[in-house]
Amino acid sequence: MKKLLSLMLIALIAMSAVFANGAAEKSSAVNEDGTVTIELWYGAAITEAGPIPDDWVGYDILREEHGIDLKLSVLPSNESDQDVRIQAAAAGNSLPDLFMVSRPVLTRLVDQGLVAPVDDYYALMPNRTAQQYDADSIAMSTIDGHSYGFASPGSVAKNEGLLIRKDWLDNLGLEVPTNLDELMEVMRAFTYDDPDGNGKNDTYGYGAYIESDATLKGYPGARLFPILGAFGVDGLWCLEEENLGLNVYKPEFYDAMVYIRQMCEEGVMDPNWLTYKKDDFRAAWKQGRFGIMKEQNAAYASESNYAPFDANFPDGEWIIIDPPEGPDGLASVGAYDQNYRIYAMSQDAADEGKAEKICELLEWMSSDEGYYLCGWGVEGVNYVLDENGIPVTGDLGDNSFSGPDGQVYTQLRNMVFYNSDVELASRYPTYTTAVSGKTMSALTALREMQSKYWTAAIGSGQMPTPNADVQRYYEQTLAEFLSGQRALTPENWQAFIDGFNRIGGAAWNEEGIAYAQANGLVR
Amino acid sequence: MRKKDSAERAAGQPATKVLKDGTTILVAPKPALKKEILRHKDVYLLLLIPFVYYIVFKYVPIFNAQIAFKDFRARDGVLGSAWIGFQNFTDFFSSFYFWELLRNTLMYSIGKILISLPVSIILAIAIYECTHYALRKTVQTLAYLPHFLSWVIMYGVLFALLSPSSGILNDIIKLFGGQPVDFLSSVKAFPWVVLLSDAWKEMGWSAIIFIAALMNIDVTLFEAAMVEGANSWQRVRYITFPSIKPVIVTVLLLKIGTILDAGFNQMYMLYSPQVYSVGDIIDTWVYRQGLLQFEFGLATAVGLFKGVIGMLLVVFSNKLVSKFSEGSSLF
Repeated sequence: MKKLLSLMLIALIAMSAVFANGAAEKSSAVNEDGTVTIELWYGAAITEAGPIPDDWVGYDILREEHGIDLKLSVLPSNESDQDVRIQAAAAGNSLPDLFMVSRPVLTRLVDQGLVAPVDDYYALMPNRTAQQYDADSIAMSTIDGHSYGFASPGSVAKNEGLLIRKDWLDNLGLEVPTNLDELMEVMRAFTYDDPDGNGKNDTYGYGAYIESDATLKGYPGARLFPILGAFGVDGLWCLEEENLGLNVYKPEFYDAMVYIRQMCEEGVMDPNWLTYKKDDFRAAWKQGRFGIMKEQNAAYASESNYAPFDANFPDGEWIIIDPPEGPDGLASVGAYDQNYRIYAMSQDAADEGKAEKICELLEWMSSDEGYYLCGWGVEGVNYVLDENGIPVTGDLGDNSFSGPDGQVYTQLRNMVFYNSDVELASRYPTYTTAVSGKTMSALTALREMQSKYWTAAIGSGQMPTPNADVQRYYEQTLAEFLSGQRALTPENWQAFIDGFNRIGGAAWNEEGIAYAQANGLVR
Repeated sequence: MRKKDSAERAAGQPATKVLKDGTTILVAPKPALKKEILRHKDVYLLLLIPFVYYIVFKYVPIFNAQIAFKDFRARDGVLGSAWIGFQNFTDFFSSFYFWELLRNTLMYSIGKILISLPVSIILAIAIYECTHYALRKTVQTLAYLPHFLSWVIMYGVLFALLSPSSGILNDIIKLFGGQPVDFLSSVKAFPWVVLLSDAWKEMGWSAIIFIAALMNIDVTLFEAAMVEGANSWQRVRYITFPSIKPVIVTVLLLKIGTILDAGFNQMYMLYSPQVYSVGDIIDTWVYRQGLLQFEFGLATAVGLFKGVIGMLLVVFSNKLVSKFSEGSSLF
């Protein structure tokens, strides 16, 4: 018995030691059939659809023409979950060869020596580099003077707008608000004057949810940017030379908080805004719960997203308006950064000699063959070209690139798209709504949204992030002010700032200022 | 005396044991392990799967717990990372919100024991006592159902019930002239939402073990009690409760062992910045500071701390139980 126990103990220690060393030694990069396996963890283009099927023709093309055995794995759609998955793999020293990663996580992985610098590899991808990578995108993936990933263009910049229910304005005989005072009056009317005429007290002026992060969209988040923008404090960081630093230190931030608190106190803000998740918020405007909001162009105007609103309110109409002016004449839809999706190469992949094949894969993706195959699928099966050369669905039905069976073949499209006119025209076609017969276009909405005034905060995504305690203190205290748990007075505000400085806010601010100055982010 | 017992039992002879009340009992001889395994090989084969599971997923990772004392760098691996002593523990204990995190964690753990345990016992007894078969099965099924829903779904259900503008509960409050309450973002209401929603979700599942214990009670005891004129309450009080007491104690001891686990999934879904002061628990802090910030050494240190505290509490509670109620303790 003792012998048995001893053996078990030895086996346990041996197994533990094996596991403790992380991933086993990786074998040679070249497989027996001469191909090189590349494991790619990608962000799905259509999160609600399934992964790329095994019969995708891209696998065969890559294997036969490029000697690449591509293994795909989709990352979670939620950013936090993505970060956890990547970091869990990193902790086990088992990162895939190529993977999508956020800038804050990339910084940590570089610090751990897990990611390969790619400065020398851009030259191996002339076509893709010309199409996707410029000085700004390379700066996005640059840490300590080296580029540690390929940063492709992400979602279109300035793709959100301030929208108002025009039918409600018309019903109440109101004009589009142009400043904060008028905005408050309209919000009151939308809340208390039965704008939809249903005889019920079931509407609110403004709808939002907390959409914040620790780089660009500081608490209370992007959905309130038009209000914060009227005070010149939209965005977590101010990158203007004269006010460089966290916006929370500006006196106008307090004024903005007072205005938002007033919205809550007067009941003109949908009271669910603190607990809404994104989908709840989007369901709410489609149910006619509020009349003013900041929304993304496609979430508002694409055919599938607009359809429920159209069915519920055939006479309803949202219009995109200018952001309201604040007391000093400032106005902004919000702070914006250039959005990028960074794909990093693991140090293990580089050590195994896979870098060139990875570059070959990326270059193929940006070739005509790869671009259309990843972006829209197979011509005649998943798309057809119209007279202007725009890929359209034609009469391909479910197999079309936007149909339930065809869209899974376009899951890699975010790795090849660069927001060209062809892509946008294809992605956001003009259509007629099913119930009200309106002519809608998410592309028209996008162009109108982009034409409004925005605050440039280019490089915010690279700024240093605080530790969890500082971030919690910042978000919790602001939330307590807005929800009324803590009285919003100048004294309490100063106490908050003092506490924020003590816990590490001042150090974070100084670190951010130094980073912005050192990396040319100051305007 | 003990040495003698062991010697007798090892030799295959029955041993004697004197209980605290002075009674002497015979203890069956302990068979050799190899013989025992061969004799009941089918049962031991069944044990193999959970045995392997525990070895691979519970015991092997213990080796990696050493990163709690290291400045863990993935590239260097567990063995290659530098030792930093108790730095990770010090970082946790000196974190700005440590005492609040500990308070919240204990508040929810103890609160869940105080609320969920009695509720599931009452439900089990109610189901056991119910003589209407269809009603019993329906209640049982409905009570189990929420356990199988994830907290993502439960959040949706709670939101539909508790929303200040459109929630059913607030509609009722407004109907009676009251002011709507934002249950999910009020620091006063939030703890109750957490505790009661957990009780609702888990009471049916937790009741299973008590129902199983109730099924083992000798029915002749109830028949005799009924002949003696005992009413329902008296039967529950004098037969049911004493019969399932060892199971209650076992469940309680197991819950005490995980007292620093207050329910990450639930809290992560329900909490938001305005209720951090009453909603942030050790596990949510570890998620934000340890996992999202790549501080795996810190996260492991906290896990180790929780495990040690849990183990000490179980040992201490077990001692107490064995002192006051012999036969009810775990070991």
